[in-house]
Amino acid sequence: MSRLLIFIASRLVAFAFTVVIGVSVVFIIPRLLPYNPVEAQIGFIYSIGQFYDPTAIEMLRQTLYELYGLKGNPIEQYFAVWRRILTFDLGPSIMNFPTPVITLISIALPWTIGLLTFSTLFSWTVGNIIGTVASFFNHKKFSKALTGIAVVLYPVPYFILALVLMFTFAYLIPIFPLGGGLTLVGMGLSLELALNLAKHAALPAISIIIPGALGWWFLSSYTLTTQKKTEDFVRYAELKGLSSRVVLRRYLIRNILMPQTTALGLALGGIFSGALLTEVVYAYPGIGRLLYAAIINNDYNMIMGISLLSILGVSLATLLLDLIYPLIDPTVRYR
Amino acid sequence: MTLTERPGIDMLKVVGMGVSRFSQTFLDVYRTSRTFRIGLIMFVALVALGVGVGSFSPFDPRRWYLVTPNRPPGLDYLLGTTTNGQDVFWLLTWSIRNSLIIGLVTAMVASHVGLLLGMLAGARGGLLDRVLMVITDSFVVIPALPTLILLAVLLRDVMTIPLMGLIISIFSWPWPSRQVRAMVLSLRERDFISTSIFSGYGVWGRVVRDYLPFILPWHLVNLTNTVLFAISSEAALAVIGVSILSEATLGVMIYWALNYSALFRGLWWWLISPVITIILVFVSLFLISKGISDYSNPRLRWQAKG
Repeated sequence: MSRLLIFIASRLVAFAFTVVIGVSVVFIIPRLLPYNPVEAQIGFIYSIGQFYDPTAIEMLRQTLYELYGLKGNPIEQYFAVWRRILTFDLGPSIMNFPTPVITLISIALPWTIGLLTFSTLFSWTVGNIIGTVASFFNHKKFSKALTGIAVVLYPVPYFILALVLMFTFAYLIPIFPLGGGLTLVGMGLSLELALNLAKHAALPAISIIIPGALGWWFLSSYTLTTQKKTEDFVRYAELKGLSSRVVLRRYLIRNILMPQTTALGLALGGIFSGALLTEVVYAYPGIGRLLYAAIINNDYNMIMGISLLSILGVSLATLLLDLIYPLIDPTVRYR
Repeated sequence: MTLTERPGIDMLKVVGMGVSRFSQTFLDVYRTSRTFRIGLIMFVALVALGVGVGSFSPFDPRRWYLVTPNRPPGLDYLLGTTTNGQDVFWLLTWSIRNSLIIGLVTAMVASHVGLLLGMLAGARGGLLDRVLMVITDSFVVIPALPTLILLAVLLRDVMTIPLMGLIISIFSWPWPSRQVRAMVLSLRERDFISTSIFSGYGVWGRVVRDYLPFILPWHLVNLTNTVLFAISSEAALAVIGVSILSEATLGVMIYWALNYSALFRGLWWWLISPVITIILVFVSLFLISKGISDYSNPRLRWQAKG
């Protein structure tokens, strides 16, 4: 029992360390930007051309520094950031002043979670099934064709595919809208609204699912199965006279599932940073596009908030996987 | 030999061994793997186009309005011209060259830093291992693309093509480092490592003599994958407009084509040329890396030879 406690404690300490280092790096980098949002704001007021009392401007400057969380020297700012994180108050957004960062994130997050959870789970399931089957029957024609497709799809960056899809299905054959999340169709929940949502999410989802299912998940499960297939226990099962269905289901898929579950966990942890390029290309109102806008507009608080969310997402997923793994895989012991 | 003496490593001999092993492996892979052959031929053709043909370019890729804008592909202009008055074909050769430089810089820096740190952490163990692993894990957790965008915006004024490669390196060493460490750990318990330790070899001696030969094939695969990662990262930055927009890379070409709505004005050749080229670059490198990794897995090699 005490060994289990030590195991859990050591994982928790490692988790805390990675979060602290991650937050520190994310704190430092935007402050290296050659841009001061407060002075820019003041400059904007001056540029309108009205005359202001210098003391009033000075007061305004102090208020802005305080509001933006840029008061004091960097060390004070750093501790202020931690205080804010621990109280879940991420301050106001600078580009959409004075809406709180939390509010903007909570508006964008459901869009991203809805899109990415569905497309990640879907492509994981489909990719693993066809990958394992194709590897098991690797001399069949369909297997060769699928491998050929995967070899082309996997290395190509997903935003290139997104561009190709957009060109084909929004321009050449205009069955899907060019971008956006929703067009107004009236008030209240209705079938029409749901259809409209699905239509807008379709192209972004497809451009995540196709390279995922037919590229990455297909190739990884294909490779894993090819390796497992040559192992003695599979050969033994075949010599015992078990049907290929049973060998596939009870001997191969079970063994493939273990590493693939780890990868799925990490992929799900990563959805909190959104699919930045997919969302930018399709103008989809999710976290990724919010982050892009924040970076372009030098919105420190927003960059900090979203990066924090994604750091927490990935490291929590890693922590949970580490803790759960010994339960699902008997060959791994708590060490 | 007394106990205090350590057997020295003749670096020349090691390098010689490495070169002959490397060329032998290369020939073997080339002979046995069709995947590798196709990939290599495609890649060599692209390099020839980018570095060889590209250096005869009559136009400076950074200058605009040198030729008649918006011409379709034809005899005068092989792949047409852009709205900026650039020749798509010659622009493309320069873009291939610059994208490959970025990939090469990242591969040279990041994958070797990863290899070195991973082997050191695995072979030394102890406190150094823990410290290195905590740092590596933190880098894995930091969201790469947003941080790259930030750095690109920050360094916009001083950005050059090789510098872009260096910046992308920041996020391409942690993963190889983890993998290498895991491989070293699994090798560490073998008998020949103990033999090395008892013969008095230090950490570096073991790294060069014992671990490196095992990790080399994997390292080659990783090298090609890093080139892929770097080119696609730069293209990603370029597509959203934060790369070096005055230089010509494959991503920057896509950016300008999108920026001038090339597709919707019917100038399809402007967008399609870099997109197809980028797909060819990726597929060729992937085939090369797949060929090597199939070869380095002895079970699969045996299966392939039947």
